[in-house]
Amino acid sequence: MVTPAIASVAAQIEAAIWSALEAVPDPEIPAVSVVEMGMIHRVEVDDGNARVVVLPTFTGCPAIAIIQEEVRRAVGLVEGVRDVDVETSFDPPWTSDRITIGGREKLRGWGLAPPSPGMVVIGDIGLPATATCPFCGSTDTRNDSLFGPTPCRAAYYCNACRNPFEQFKQV
Amino acid sequence: MTDAFVALVTALADDELILGHRHSEWTGYAPHIEEDVAFASIAQDEIGHASSYYALLADGPQEVDALALGRQPDAYRNAVLCERPNADWAFTLARHWLYDHADDFRSQTLEHTSEPKLRQLVTKIRREERYHLLHADYWMKRVAQGPVDARTRIIPAMARAFAEVGGLFEPFDREQEALEEGLLTVDSPTLRDRFTEWASSALDELGLPGDAARATAPSEFVASSSGDLIAGDGAPAEPVAFTSGLGGRRGVHTGDLDELWRAMTTQYRENEGATW
Repeated sequence: MVTPAIASVAAQIEAAIWSALEAVPDPEIPAVSVVEMGMIHRVEVDDGNARVVVLPTFTGCPAIAIIQEEVRRAVGLVEGVRDVDVETSFDPPWTSDRITIGGREKLRGWGLAPPSPGMVVIGDIGLPATATCPFCGSTDTRNDSLFGPTPCRAAYYCNACRNPFEQFKQV
Repeated sequence: MTDAFVALVTALADDELILGHRHSEWTGYAPHIEEDVAFASIAQDEIGHASSYYALLADGPQEVDALALGRQPDAYRNAVLCERPNADWAFTLARHWLYDHADDFRSQTLEHTSEPKLRQLVTKIRREERYHLLHADYWMKRVAQGPVDARTRIIPAMARAFAEVGGLFEPFDREQEALEEGLLTVDSPTLRDRFTEWASSALDELGLPGDAARATAPSEFVASSSGDLIAGDGAPAEPVAFTSGLGGRRGVHTGDLDELWRAMTTQYRENEGATW
């Protein structure tokens, strides 16, 4: 039987785990944490055993193994946690809409245009619609490629400030 | 895990791995820098999808590696079309367009598979594949409407690729069981007919008429599901036969897979049992 006292201890540990995870960066975009990226689906604590469910952003993302390891390490350091189990799941699928408002601001500050809501919108010539330049805020931009240096980015050019930039893909 | 499930997932994974490897061969050689990046990225996606499919069959990353790289060529169940060399940019684009759209038809039905883990993975993968479809459509439009040189290259390349597209819909070992178990909701021949009907009309819309495409293909490759396509000699095209490009789902491959396999598995074979 779970007494209220034990339940409240578990809730405290759970809250501490979430704070710890807020300090775990996305290895490819270190300005943003895995929590801000919306990658942490669930945290459960049962008698000191923590279970964290991570949603991979892209199935082919090579950073997944690193993220799992970093999450395991960070959660293992939380007081009251004896054992850590980190699982990945595609249920629900991670989508770019899961990135928090704060996370979007940090992406922009890091030089990466945050994803627009929903799935990618296609313009007249079969390329995505314009993105907002993270450097000058102009929407006078063009898509140079649907793909970029990592699976999660697409390449753009800003006609206003003449900088190439990338946008986080909408998936 | 049933035998039918293993057979289905192996075919899906092998297609993605082998074509992903072919796409990766453009890294450093593509006609321009953005396409170098694009094909490297698409390759990474496809190989990542393969890895996730293998993970449904494997217990841990070592077993995923063993499935991907530790088998002999005749144990692979990819369609022959996937193992064909890149040849040139035109063939690469034609195959990319055909494969990604065929995969779209296939994965759409798999969103209704009875196996939850597969359903969840396919749902995720389809969101990523949307970028591949956009890329393929963009390029097909560009070359189809482009200068004469582009059209004269894409037409025979499409004929070659289209001739072997039936291999993607070749029933795999234990397909009947997969249908009975609800793993598959549509049988492969039905899916093939749906796809070829769509592809024929999409090619017509692109101004790449199947008749012109097939004019340069050997007559046994002449194939059309719509029946209104004209063969090179002006005679009405025969109904779809798709007798070429088959065998992959039974492990009967061409020498092209042996060549690819030797390159793809070199590291794995030379460092057996290594932990990466």
